[in-house]
Amino acid sequence: MGRGARAGPARVSGGLTATAALSVDRCAGRQRIRWTHAWPIVLRPTGDDRVHLVHGAGGPLGGDVLSLAVDVGAGAELEVRSAGATLVQPGPAGERARWDTVVTVGPGAWLGWAPQAVIVSDGAAFDTSLRMELAAGARAAVREIVVLGRLGGRGGRYRSELTVTLGCETLLAHAVLLDGDDAALSGPGGSAGARAVGTMVVVGAGAGRDRSGESPGVRWAWTGLEGPGAMLMAVGAPGPVTALLDAASADLAAGRVAADRVAADLVDADRVAADRVGADRVAADRAQASGIRHP
Amino acid sequence: MTLSGLLLLADSRLPSGGHGHSGGVEALVDRGLLRTEGDLALFLDGRVRTGGRVPAAASAAACARAGVQESHVRAGAGGGSPGPDWGRWDAAVSARLPSAAARAASRAQGSALLRTVGRTWPTPAVDALRALPRVHHPLVLGAAAAAAGGTPLQAAALALHHLVGGACTAAVRLLGLDPIAVAALAAAAGRLAEPVAVEATRIAMLAVIADDPAGLPADGSPLFDVLAQLHHTSEATLFAS
Repeated sequence: MGRGARAGPARVSGGLTATAALSVDRCAGRQRIRWTHAWPIVLRPTGDDRVHLVHGAGGPLGGDVLSLAVDVGAGAELEVRSAGATLVQPGPAGERARWDTVVTVGPGAWLGWAPQAVIVSDGAAFDTSLRMELAAGARAAVREIVVLGRLGGRGGRYRSELTVTLGCETLLAHAVLLDGDDAALSGPGGSAGARAVGTMVVVGAGAGRDRSGESPGVRWAWTGLEGPGAMLMAVGAPGPVTALLDAASADLAAGRVAADRVAADLVDADRVAADRVGADRVAADRAQASGIRHP
Repeated sequence: MTLSGLLLLADSRLPSGGHGHSGGVEALVDRGLLRTEGDLALFLDGRVRTGGRVPAAASAAACARAGVQESHVRAGAGGGSPGPDWGRWDAAVSARLPSAAARAASRAQGSALLRTVGRTWPTPAVDALRALPRVHHPLVLGAAAAAAGGTPLQAAALALHHLVGGACTAAVRLLGLDPIAVAALAAAAGRLAEPVAVEATRIAMLAVIADDPAGLPADGSPLFDVLAQLHHTSEATLFAS
């Protein structure tokens, strides 16, 4: 994998097939990021420890089969963002789009994974998976936001699988099926009419307080996983859900900076948790200010 | 033996702790998200097709694993054989229930059913479950189904039967819905559950053959999990979950 090497696009049954790769390692205190583009997946390093994903073809479109492999080496730190929301659109023959990501995080490494929302247009179908394999002592925060439909739309079909393993233990296996066009899946046994679902999983020190709340436009809860991790789930309207997740991300970053200043291996879990409560209030206020009604 | 045992396991009057849980219905009712028979029908359809796959497959897998162990014992090979490695399978169910409150509800019902089953069908597989500090309900149900002579498919069907029955009973009590209309809904949901049980059993058998619970389905529902957490912190609720 050369620095910035390019693989040409491959077309299978009308869609694009592409596999991109990204790795970061830390050597003698310096970080080195390497990547392989694969159109339409474009990777843009935007800092020593930060990479932006750019989707280069206005998709994914139905029929696209995309995958990304990410490796964060021992002791390295990586923040992954996206340059914009990902808009999934129907393919010419109604095929599904697929995007699979596998991430490995080495001992003592950190991954912050916070792309912007995935918007599933009416009539589109998107299958996505994110598999995170963390070594013992690795830490990570992963978030996903899905929005059913563009403004005024009901949204297509979205299926995601999120798997988080820590050492040889599976910390979380969580599949979600949403479909704005399916009465049962958008009914009380599914999303109950909400258009947005946000998820954030935090693995490592400082995670694991159960808190929850309801405010206009979003219902949310942090819950401890069975193991050293916690998960935030938020269901509601796109604006409040995104605001809540943004606040949680910012709060987590603040918590990390504070913790790093004290000592990398001695995180004051109580203070991190207390900081988070403050951020939740901010998020709730923002949600309130946005004035979006209950889902 | 088979039919009477399975009927007993399907009977909500068997002491199993299920009466204290609404399967997420009470939290929805409290928020006005489930009001009518039509809402209940949609709820059952959504739950059976998503979150219901997890207990269905876990119950089928537990039944298959317990059945293998019983046959070892009958063949005289089980004298010193350790029980099935339930711990890994129990952890796999936990990994599929992100809500701590949902995990607690599953384990409370697992413990309650295990007290009954430990007396009714004290097989080695059931005894091995009792050795765990706590255990999820579908594993107890599956092991009990095996002990009663049932198949993995029947164990999966039992898990979905209880998901539907618990929600229906709770809806009648909370909303005062017509019990006869709700019985018809339960029957319709049972028909929807049949192909789900078949598919969950197929997946479960592959996981059992591979001896790896990672293959179990992992379907969840973010709203269900959020409401489970919110319900857990609510005061004055009729049902524990």
